[in-house]
Amino acid sequence: MSESIKSSEAYVKKFAFRPFDGVRRGRIYRLGAISWQWWIHEWKRSKAVKFLIGFLIFTFILMNMFLLFTRDMMLAMDPDLTTNDLLEDNLFTMVRGIVSFGISFEVESDNGMSEAQFNFGGTSIFILILLVIVGSGLIADDISNQTTEIYYSKLEKYEYVLGKFLAFFIFGNIVLTLPYVFEFFLLVVGLGNIDLITAFPALVHVILFTEIITITYSAIILAFSSLTNRRLYAGLTSFMLIFTVNMIVSSLTLSGGEAGFEILFDVLTVLLLTSYILTGATTVEYRSFRGIQSINLIDGVGIEGWMVLGALGLFILLGFLIVVVQVWRHSK
Amino acid sequence: METEIIVTDSLTKFYGKIRGIEDISVKIPSGGVGFLGPNAAGKTTLIRTLLGIIRPTRGSAQVLGYDIRHEINEVRDRIGYVPEFNTSFIPDTTAMSFVAFCGRMNGLSYPESKQRASDSLFYVGLGEERYRKFDTFSLGMKQKVKLAVALVHDPEIIICDEPTNGLDPSGRVQMLELIRNLQIDEGKNVILSSHLLRDVEKTTDYALVISEGEILAKGNIRELTANKRSTVSVKVKSKYNDLLEALEVNGLNVWTDGAFIEVEKTPAVEKEIFIIANRIGVDIRYLGSRSRSLEDVFVSLFKEQEVQIH
Repeated sequence: MSESIKSSEAYVKKFAFRPFDGVRRGRIYRLGAISWQWWIHEWKRSKAVKFLIGFLIFTFILMNMFLLFTRDMMLAMDPDLTTNDLLEDNLFTMVRGIVSFGISFEVESDNGMSEAQFNFGGTSIFILILLVIVGSGLIADDISNQTTEIYYSKLEKYEYVLGKFLAFFIFGNIVLTLPYVFEFFLLVVGLGNIDLITAFPALVHVILFTEIITITYSAIILAFSSLTNRRLYAGLTSFMLIFTVNMIVSSLTLSGGEAGFEILFDVLTVLLLTSYILTGATTVEYRSFRGIQSINLIDGVGIEGWMVLGALGLFILLGFLIVVVQVWRHSK
Repeated sequence: METEIIVTDSLTKFYGKIRGIEDISVKIPSGGVGFLGPNAAGKTTLIRTLLGIIRPTRGSAQVLGYDIRHEINEVRDRIGYVPEFNTSFIPDTTAMSFVAFCGRMNGLSYPESKQRASDSLFYVGLGEERYRKFDTFSLGMKQKVKLAVALVHDPEIIICDEPTNGLDPSGRVQMLELIRNLQIDEGKNVILSSHLLRDVEKTTDYALVISEGEILAKGNIRELTANKRSTVSVKVKSKYNDLLEALEVNGLNVWTDGAFIEVEKTPAVEKEIFIIANRIGVDIRYLGSRSRSLEDVFVSLFKEQEVQIH
């Protein structure tokens, strides 16, 4: 018998196998275990993730400083403007900036003037890159490392899929929802004179909208992650789909008239429109690279509100379906 | 006392039109059991069906009394699985972290999973390397990690699917020794699936011979390898063909089996063989009944199967 066997036997004697007589945790705990392990792994794995999170925090601080420095100037310029208006405008603009690269919308204000909309395209690209870097390996890495067989011997396949979605969903909440909720309270404190009851719907909108973005991104990114065993390919294709389609659609759109149905193929534009639907807007100005068009979401002509929500639902459903089919297919 | 750990009834799995396993009805006893068969025989399909990774097309199975269709999570918590695939694991994760994570997937609490991961890694001989990352691990070490993963939640049955694949001779010996120890020292039920007859023969007491999705033979390895044909084997130093001819001329029923001449047993046949051999001047090196190796059983079973097909 070789020396190595003898040494392993010594360990056996030293660390004798303890029978497990405790209580096993439930299924939700096990789902959480998948998410937690992925979290720890991603955080340790990539310096880019740490850098991007740091960069986003920095951008956040910068945006707040700009707003707080210009607050008095803006209030002085427009006597009708209240700090509540400032809070809503800036918060909505910021949160819509998550999904606007080349496109922005404007809503007609009460006095007929269009409200200025900032476009934080730079930040949104970094958020997308961060989510793609983190999410593209969720299933692709397991296929590549052939660890799925071990997971399926311990969990149901649907538990595995849910665990992966949960992992991304929690990450999305930390990167998207939490900062903007935090932002809301920062602005409440920073701007001062805020009527919290009036401002509360804005907070609800922020939470709802960022949750929708997280769910949509998770469906798309995980779908691509399940289609390949290469994290890089999954990341590139999901980024290209989200980013390039947005660029193409906004370049195709001609100036004037009602916007065409092609914008329903662009997930970011659909998400952006959803934000307006959530705030109850009926007519929005669609600003693309090539010009401005209008969209009336309730007039029965062209793009309607239900179409936007339907398109978004389809994106999410398709993403989930691809993940489920691929996971079942791989296990065979 | 020997009890049945797995009972299957007409367990069948088809991948479309391709047969994985068909009508597997077997009662597998506790202790060490070998699933023996050539590649693509259906061994892995049977294991994956028992673990609920794939659903059977028809039939049923109970593992430790739990139905695989309705109580699969109970089954999974009681089985440790060492998959066949060359799992490369998550390269920049430590063995300790991964094994503990697998324990948590089986419902162990965080501290318990850490403790048991450490115990399991020490058990398989990777105690010192447990905080090393997988990208520094050799194939043999990764195979041991798979065994640690299978052990971490203290299962009653450990299923090892081709655990010695790709291992060098010393690694193979170590792995088989570990599997044997689990059965003898720890009282675990071990199912070893392999196409390597010696591995099964060395580590298990009961074998299930599977080919083309069907069970060809099952039973205690001693019984399977016992010479049931009631023959006397003769091995000679030289003049093999001369003795063969002489035995036939004297009216004995003989046939060849490699270096051996097999003679049908009749009263005082041994004495008769000695007289014939002495008459033609042949030195006998061995005379007596011979137990067959598992390999002999395997080869004869496959020959029979081929004859049936043709």
